[in-house]
Amino acid sequence: MLSIVGKDIHVEFPIYDNYARSLRHTLGLGVIAKGINRLATRKLNVGGQIDKGETGRVVIKALDRVSFDIHEGDRVGLLGHNGSGKTTLLRTLAGIYEPVGGAIQASGRVFPLFDLQLGMDQDATGLENIWMRGRMLGLAKQQIKDALDDIADFTELGDYLHVPIRTYSQGMMVRLAFAISTAITPEILILDEMIGAGDAAFLARADLRLKDFIARAGILVVASHSMAMLRQWCNKGMLLERGKLIAYGPLEEVIVRYEGARA
Amino acid sequence: MLSLTSRQVDTAVDDLRTGICSWRLSQFLAWQDIKQRYRRSTLGPIWLTLSFGVQMLTMGILSSFLFNSPFSKSLPFVCAGMLFWTLITQMITDGAALFVTTSRYITQIKCPLSLFVAQAVWRNVIVAAHNVTIYIVIAVFLAVIPGPSLLLWPLGFVLDMICLSWIVLVTAVVSARYRDIPMIIQNVLTILFWFTPLMYFPEQLGSKRFIADYNPFTHMIALVRAPLMGGAPTLDDWLVVLALTVVGWAGTFLFFARFRARVVYWL
Repeated sequence: MLSIVGKDIHVEFPIYDNYARSLRHTLGLGVIAKGINRLATRKLNVGGQIDKGETGRVVIKALDRVSFDIHEGDRVGLLGHNGSGKTTLLRTLAGIYEPVGGAIQASGRVFPLFDLQLGMDQDATGLENIWMRGRMLGLAKQQIKDALDDIADFTELGDYLHVPIRTYSQGMMVRLAFAISTAITPEILILDEMIGAGDAAFLARADLRLKDFIARAGILVVASHSMAMLRQWCNKGMLLERGKLIAYGPLEEVIVRYEGARA
Repeated sequence: MLSLTSRQVDTAVDDLRTGICSWRLSQFLAWQDIKQRYRRSTLGPIWLTLSFGVQMLTMGILSSFLFNSPFSKSLPFVCAGMLFWTLITQMITDGAALFVTTSRYITQIKCPLSLFVAQAVWRNVIVAAHNVTIYIVIAVFLAVIPGPSLLLWPLGFVLDMICLSWIVLVTAVVSARYRDIPMIIQNVLTILFWFTPLMYFPEQLGSKRFIADYNPFTHMIALVRAPLMGGAPTLDDWLVVLALTVVGWAGTFLFFARFRARVVYWL
């Protein structure tokens, strides 16, 4: 059984930029740090809370004691305003950020798909990029070989697969990236906004492929601001507000809560 | 720093193990780096070899003038030394920028940090393998005959690479946190170049030989240079590099276990 269980997850970002990232300031006086501390005492409405961390450093609390259970078959839509911690939660689920407090336990292989074009090289041909992106996605040589025809067919790029992708139109590029990324079978799929593909003429086929791709995933967690999108793909909702989990349950209930908070 | 949780130790072991086991992937990525750099140039990676060859010829000639040693002796010496010096310093320089240049990957997918170290090691080994051709040409032309210690060359090379791997890893982690470190390292390496017998023979230092002897790079270079030139590395060379590898990796492991998970927060 696939699942992800989060217990009291706590993620905070230290603020180093501009004053502490360079040795000079760590060694020197923390005058600016004091300034930011003063700023931190004023509570802001958007984003995580700026606070003093355990070491006395200025931190942004991006996730504040977040707990949840996600089980096989769940299609979780993540809702929340800008800076509410959606992306941080997704990255924590993906194992990219390891929480400073609490624990996250995933049984099953987590597959984050945030940037469809990660690992693609503008100067390489379409075919070479299928290989590079495929390897980046963790596919073995044989798996890429097996999927190659399917990917090539789907992109409808034909001979264009043999020229560098910098000559591609934006739509062609997205199509290629989309085709490669959806060639895998994810156990636990994590998306930041729903993925899409290329031009209108292509949409029907892309939609079919996307449906199939999502259906193959045991668990889906997707963040989105589009209620229509969430209603199409999800059955559960999770609402974050300033790093805290406010609601988790059937999608419609959570959407009501979200829109209520907005009004 | 020393109070590590078992989780920190486990995840660090896991990171290193996955990084080493996916050597096919790191090698693939290293090749991509090289291809990318020379795409659309007619000569491609041959440029690496050409520019190294030109540099060696100049340095070899200059060194034979400056230090009054026969050209046939100094050219292969300088070339073999510089081959490995370039390899070592480029690896460390790459290490200083490692997690910043790969931050796009580190913040988008979960992947072992050691994978990028392996990628940097491969990339530089591939470049060095190109440059070896220059040494071979020089050696054949000047009839430099490697001795029986050439059999131990692979061992010395692998030991050097294992030793360098921890240096790259530590450099990469520290440089991700403190952005002044890459500049400091660059300066240290420039200074070390003069303290390492590359342009001159260690004997030419006379009573100041300790300058070279206390420099670990001297021994790392000797381990791989001497066998190529008919000599053999000394026992000291072996012991210094071996100790540096073992102690270095032990310290690096503790350091890595403590700070590994923090790296992504620093990017």
